[in-house]
Amino acid sequence: MRVMVFVKASPESEAGVMPSEELLNAMGDYNEELVKAGIMLAGDGLKPSSAGARVHFSGKSRTVIDGPFAETKELVAGYWLWQVRSMDEAIEWVKRCPNPMMSDSDIEIRPVFEPEDFGAEFTPERREQEERLRASIASQQA
Amino acid sequence: MRVMVIVKATPDTEAGVLPTQEAFAAMGSYGEELVKAGILLDGNGLKPSSTGVRIRMDGRNRSVIDGPFAETKELIAGYSLWEVRSMDEAIEWAKRFPNLTGETELEIRPVFEDEDFGEAATPELREQDDRLRAEAAKRKAELANRGA
Repeated sequence: MRVMVFVKASPESEAGVMPSEELLNAMGDYNEELVKAGIMLAGDGLKPSSAGARVHFSGKSRTVIDGPFAETKELVAGYWLWQVRSMDEAIEWVKRCPNPMMSDSDIEIRPVFEPEDFGAEFTPERREQEERLRASIASQQA
Repeated sequence: MRVMVIVKATPDTEAGVLPTQEAFAAMGSYGEELVKAGILLDGNGLKPSSTGVRIRMDGRNRSVIDGPFAETKELIAGYSLWEVRSMDEAIEWAKRFPNLTGETELEIRPVFEDEDFGEAATPELREQDDRLRAEAAKRKAELANRGA
């Protein structure tokens, strides 16, 4: 199964405090282990929400709201995409993660939908389209 | 620049209501346009927070909190990763997202690149980061080929 692992924001990450060299080293070692175990598929840090925007959809209307956004604890500061055997395996790996923040922090693990989760509404045509799009993204990136 | 586009949860996504054929068709056409424009790098839907967990890090303690989580509007139902020229370009594309559920919100967040970290990202760290990204991308491609 694939899971998204979200690092939640903290007052420091929202204030744009950059990680120390020590934390970058610890994260580098942790990422090294994830890659060796064949778990890591992708990962990035996100700039503070002051650099972001939201688009709110209501019926046909679209409203753009500029960051920063207020509810720090619910914002995302970074993510990984992992391939794991189970949620328990993902939890064990998260527990070994160096605390990415100077203050207390939360990491959220969320299973990703796979095509087989969608049932009959995800028709063979759509499935084929999705596979084709993913293949063309892969060839654009290569 | 790369941006992460976060699709916020709604009561429907949190209740596990799956997209209809019509919704899949609209998302498929939108994905098609993003790929043609060379913008789409990745994207996935997430299962409701009832299937997720949080790990709280407090000093050396690690506590596990099982989902579901309460603040639906702040939860994430899906994401995609885009390569764009500017935030304005990202916002223009986001506005074309098919809104099939009445009320939705997308959040667009620029991604840190190596050069944003300044001197804390030593040459050794950058080299390690490049190598790990290449290996992770290779693993992702292998799994995709296997249809995993």
